[in-house]
Amino acid sequence: MRQALAVEFRKIRRRKVWLIVAALIFVQLLWSLWAFRNMDARKLAQGWMHCLYQFPLLNSIMMPVIAAVVASRLCDIEHKGRAFKLLETIMLAGRLFHAKFLCGACYMLAAAFLQVEVMVVFGTVKGFQGSPPWDKLLCYLLFTTVVNLAILLFQQTLSLLFQNQMVSLTAGLIGTLAGLYLMFFPRTVERLLLWGYYGVLMLVGMDWDRETRITNYYYMPVNWAGFIVLLVMSCILYVAGRALFVRKEM
Amino acid sequence: MSDMIMTAGLCKQYGKTLRVKDVDLAVPEGSVYGFLGPNGAGKSTTMKMILGLVRPTGGSITVCGQKLCSRNRLSILKQVGSLIESPSYYGHLTGMENLRIVSTLKGVPQKEIARVLRLVRLDRQGGKKVSQYSLGMKQRLGLACALLGHPKLLILDEPTNGLDPAGIQEMRELIRSLPKQYGMTVMVSSHMLSEIDQMATSVGVIRKGELVFQGGMAALHEKSSHHIAVRTFDNEAAFHVLTEQGVACEIQQNVLLLPALRDERLAGCLKSLFEKGIDIVRVEDRRKSLEDIFLELTGTAVSL
Repeated sequence: MRQALAVEFRKIRRRKVWLIVAALIFVQLLWSLWAFRNMDARKLAQGWMHCLYQFPLLNSIMMPVIAAVVASRLCDIEHKGRAFKLLETIMLAGRLFHAKFLCGACYMLAAAFLQVEVMVVFGTVKGFQGSPPWDKLLCYLLFTTVVNLAILLFQQTLSLLFQNQMVSLTAGLIGTLAGLYLMFFPRTVERLLLWGYYGVLMLVGMDWDRETRITNYYYMPVNWAGFIVLLVMSCILYVAGRALFVRKEM
Repeated sequence: MSDMIMTAGLCKQYGKTLRVKDVDLAVPEGSVYGFLGPNGAGKSTTMKMILGLVRPTGGSITVCGQKLCSRNRLSILKQVGSLIESPSYYGHLTGMENLRIVSTLKGVPQKEIARVLRLVRLDRQGGKKVSQYSLGMKQRLGLACALLGHPKLLILDEPTNGLDPAGIQEMRELIRSLPKQYGMTVMVSSHMLSEIDQMATSVGVIRKGELVFQGGMAALHEKSSHHIAVRTFDNEAAFHVLTEQGVACEIQQNVLLLPALRDERLAGCLKSLFEKGIDIVRVEDRRKSLEDIFLELTGTAVSL
């Protein structure tokens, strides 16, 4: 499998897939600079919570798009060069699916890691009160990665099955908008869609006082039940996506 | 000589249409097997089934002496190189990088790359991006990928597509040389009879999914029977005269068709017709061309 993964990275040489991840991190950094520009003592005291609240919201808009583009970039090369006919005579289709997923997963994992790093560096430079909440940041990293990977699986399956990449990209955009819209609904409804899980697994809640116009952030208990549902959904997506790709005739 | 590819009752159905019907192929080892048929006859589908890219609806496939199934497919295909429909490539990578990817996946030493590039005469363009290659160069790169790892069997689907006349000639020479130089068996499909005629030693003709002829090229040439056409003012009377002389003839489209007789015998026949007062107006040599045979077998016009 290491060999198949190495080949996947060789295939995307000069495709600059990393640029998408770098662009995401850059935009989020700009957003943070704007969102945290005037901070008083109260805001600094809640700085880490503010970060852990803002980033999942941003992720629900940006990460699905990144996942769709990464999956599309990885699979499009095979369609363009009609490479499946050759690859399937020298390697198992299931192995190809797995190698592509691992390759895409590396980029999605890198995106989540960089985000956490940006949060820590930003919080330290800005002088957020207290040391970084490592346990919460670790949970954030885990949850963001798993949601990213589940969406990547969905996008990869579509990108492999349909030659026209607009199908997968459009599905990704619709999912993103639906996920965002579902954030206005109760958690049970939010759980119905993959894209809603950035919200479902948020570690921080917010109270906004209409009269004082003051926002208070607070830590919420970790939603392990939601996480397990997501894991099950990811497994189903992997098995179904792989089976659909393996069954596809070239 | 054993067969490198054998199929028995091979069928493929798409929806309600049977695209390949009970095909029994036998590709002899060390041969260049021409798989001939008009466009849409089922050549590519059959080849894809042999490679396991398409699942047969019925029948069995034996490649290199082993019955093909999903479990042993890849181990059998290690001995097979293929180029189906159009070459597979990554346009943003160089020819060399493309071959490196294939050789890694095939588990072939990297030094093989230089050899196959030389073989298909791409050694000078190996460092160029494939997106900048001409169609002919891409086709040759596809062939280089297929040749990696010294396969025992090559399956090439219309490999001369997109090549200019010089490229076609070059490809033909290369394919023809493979059995002699490397002991390979080559199965090559085409809708062009002239192409198959020039490079194949065995041939299979497919029409609307059915194998209508299979055998050596010599057997196909034998079908190009030689006749003598005689036209008289009274063909009926001439027919009786010749039949009485023991000549198996027939009347077709106002012409008497005689088998290819020796000159002396033919002169005797014509003399006896004169003696009976039957006027002869035309005597022609008729040979059924390969194109006529192809037309007969496939029921379609031949591409030349």
